[in-house]
Amino acid sequence: MDWILDFYNYRVVAQYLPEFARGLGSTAWISLLALAMSLVIGTIAAIMRMSPNPLLWRIAAGYVQAIRSTPLLIQIYLIYFTLPALPLLDRRLDELEGGIIALGLNAGAYMSEIIRAGIESISRGQVEGAMSVGMTYPQRMRYVVLPQAFARVAPPLLGQTAVLIKDSALVSFIGVFELFGAGLVILNERLMPNEAFLTVAACYLAIYTVMLSVTGYAQRRLGGAAA
Amino acid sequence: MSSQTPIVVVKDICKTFKIRGRPPVHALKNVTNHVDKGEVLVVIGPSGSGKSTFLRALNGLEPIDSGSIVIDGVELTSPKTNLNRLRQEVGMVFQHFNLFEHKTALENITMPQMVVLKRSRGEANEVGRRLLDRVGIGDKEDSYPSELSGGQQQRVAIARSLAMTPKVMLFDEVTSALDPETVGGVLDLMKELAADGTTMVVVTHEMGFAREAADRVTFMDFGEIIEEGTPEGVFDNPQHERTQLFLSQIL
Ligand SMILES: Nc1ncnc2c1ncn2[C@@H]1O[C@H](COP(=O)(O)OP(=O)(O)O)[C@@H](O)[C@H]1O
Ligand SMILES: [Mg+2]
Repeated sequence: MDWILDFYNYRVVAQYLPEFARGLGSTAWISLLALAMSLVIGTIAAIMRMSPNPLLWRIAAGYVQAIRSTPLLIQIYLIYFTLPALPLLDRRLDELEGGIIALGLNAGAYMSEIIRAGIESISRGQVEGAMSVGMTYPQRMRYVVLPQAFARVAPPLLGQTAVLIKDSALVSFIGVFELFGAGLVILNERLMPNEAFLTVAACYLAIYTVMLSVTGYAQRRLGGAAA
Repeated sequence: MSSQTPIVVVKDICKTFKIRGRPPVHALKNVTNHVDKGEVLVVIGPSGSGKSTFLRALNGLEPIDSGSIVIDGVELTSPKTNLNRLRQEVGMVFQHFNLFEHKTALENITMPQMVVLKRSRGEANEVGRRLLDRVGIGDKEDSYPSELSGGQQQRVAIARSLAMTPKVMLFDEVTSALDPETVGGVLDLMKELAADGTTMVVVTHEMGFAREAADRVTFMDFGEIIEEGTPEGVFDNPQHERTQLFLSQIL
């Protein structure tokens, strides 16, 4: 059984458990905030994209194009270093804020395309049913269209969330400590890449598994019997 | 039944659908009509004659090109009119029910009350359960639309509409998508509503219902009102050739 300790020395990993726990917590927290932000931005951008007002839909389309056509790492640097240089903010963003905003903006563009597909899949009859009882546009969206749209596109939203969680490793480039950073600690101090990155990978898998069950629950709550 | 107070006054309305590359469709050509309080107006006519467009114009689902529609004194076409507010007063029941698929039968009825009328959950539930009983499916409150038969779904849709206590109810071929064995029950329910004094505009191909429940029958063809009168007058003694042709085909 010695080869196991050679291949993956769990005793060493156990020593670094506090680092991994901190990294896991940080990744989960960053991902959660970025996810919330991306869903809000994605919903707003999706609705703007479908607006008859050309200014609104051009802004939304431009945002999606800009995000899709540039690397996330560059977006992170732009948000962290370049955005505070504009005379918009009177202070610097800290690494965590910069990282979360960049991840949220990035994922928001992809989410908006998924959410738009969901909204467009809801039949005109659902909207007319809501109109016929006097519901306003925001009420129709909030209570009729969006819940069904989200339930319908939950699988691709979940897939995009998995991408977001994995992408969150990139914020380590601006000095945020998270899972990937925890792996780097073992790598640097012990030169043990297996212990470092198998553990990191297992933690990402754990986060994804928790995500899966949460999404299943949310989909049932939103979608009624159909989901 | 009718007491001569008009709830709906329609004057000279026109609606043309223009689709690029196709000739324009004149769905409504100078249609004038009215519905009194407590009156049941039944609109009949061939497919494509503009019946749905007429009905949908009455709650602003279909914007019209010209003419005027007044609902209980409120000018629907005026830019100052809050259409959402006005639609609370004009209930509509659709051929394909248009129930909220993600809500149970009871929630379909309570949600609009809470959202639009700001009723409390308790009050909305009370109204919802009473109406589900009234339309004969009190035992189905926790079922989702996909778990109900067409007839049951249409009863929920009628209850959803009634919960808003509208001044007039519009019915657009509400039994056309139903299995034959459930049609009669829904028509009976509509007859009960009519007998209770509900102001109704009903588009239907059910001539038996029209004869029994209508105070007045309007026959439309090619976007125009061709003939109107009492059920006896229109069905037993139609004046216009097109009415005679239509009735001979359908009866
Ligand atoms: N949204 C629409 N776009 C284009 N044409 C339409 C639309 N709705 C109705 N029409 C046309 O208007 C005419 C009247 O339709 P409709 O009011 O639905 O008739 P009915 O309900 O009597 O069958 C038909 O020729 C129909 O094809
Ligand atoms: Mg029709």
